[in-house]
Amino acid sequence: MVQRAMRISLIFLAGILGATAFPSAAQPPDAGTKVVQVMGLAGVKANAKGSLTPENGNLQFEHSKAKVSVPIHSVEDVITGNDSQRVFRGTIGTLTMLAPYGGGRFLSLFRGKLDTLTIQYRDADGGLHGAIFTMALGKAEPLKKELVAQGAHTSVPIQEDSGASNAQEKKP
Amino acid sequence: MKRAPQVTAVSILLLSTLAGATNARAQTAPPSGKKASAIQVLMIQSDEIKLPAEFQISLYENLIQQLEKKGGFQHVYREGDHNADAVADLVVLHSTVRGFKKGSEMARNVTTVAGKTSIDIHCQFTDKDGKSMLERDVNGKVRFLGGNLRATLDFAKKGAKLARDNFAANPAS
Repeated sequence: MVQRAMRISLIFLAGILGATAFPSAAQPPDAGTKVVQVMGLAGVKANAKGSLTPENGNLQFEHSKAKVSVPIHSVEDVITGNDSQRVFRGTIGTLTMLAPYGGGRFLSLFRGKLDTLTIQYRDADGGLHGAIFTMALGKAEPLKKELVAQGAHTSVPIQEDSGASNAQEKKP
Repeated sequence: MKRAPQVTAVSILLLSTLAGATNARAQTAPPSGKKASAIQVLMIQSDEIKLPAEFQISLYENLIQQLEKKGGFQHVYREGDHNADAVADLVVLHSTVRGFKKGSEMARNVTTVAGKTSIDIHCQFTDKDGKSMLERDVNGKVRFLGGNLRATLDFAKKGAKLARDNFAANPAS
């Protein structure tokens, strides 16, 4: 009886792994940086998925329902960071909590790293806004460079390639 | 006649208890009964404590969102909004981070008891001229479910309630 229950739980966990761990093959062509708007962008729901593109002096966030743009010259601060999140999240993540023998807790150990991009900008009335985006690892710094190149301000200087600088320092 | 001293002692005891209760109520009550139709939220300051940028923005945005939803004010203005200049009965909310402990979502999920994220913020409500009207410490935390940024939502809910209870012109809304 116990062996049967263990076998069922193993199949359950393997099913979840198979359904979520591998990215789907059919993805739309790459346009801008794929991001999740965590919060702050006016007129966009929290945790909306979309693409972020700096072009023609505007930072454009485009998702299935709307297109929001922020003038880059109004961006007062751009800061990058990093974080991590559960691989199994959302409804499936909640369902894993019900898995027997602490399976949910075990699955909590699987976490994916991600980059965060935080911006502060002013609206037409001068009101200060903030927005937080998360994206795949290594995507935030190039986006910040592009924003700064187009006129955004930042309180944290852009990091140069650490590998190259280290190599130069080692030379006698 | 023998009972007179006893009655006097009981009366003195009752009177002192009543006086103490009144005094305690006076300390917890807001310093002024001023009501306002609008509130302006300034960006969260964290000069002494190193706070990640996403937490700072999340605190600010969640606070504005909660004040708009449940604050009971006609208008909620952001820092720098020119429209706030014309409002006579404006209350300005200054928030300063006094303590921050970034926990771990993984530790919370795995152990249930460890990994708490906690933020302590000193809230000061002033009038337009900068005169202090109320000062309180408000805490935001996440103990069990959710990411670390959820602590900012907890703070925002408490901060909005504090503003509504003390300054909102129509607190029922």
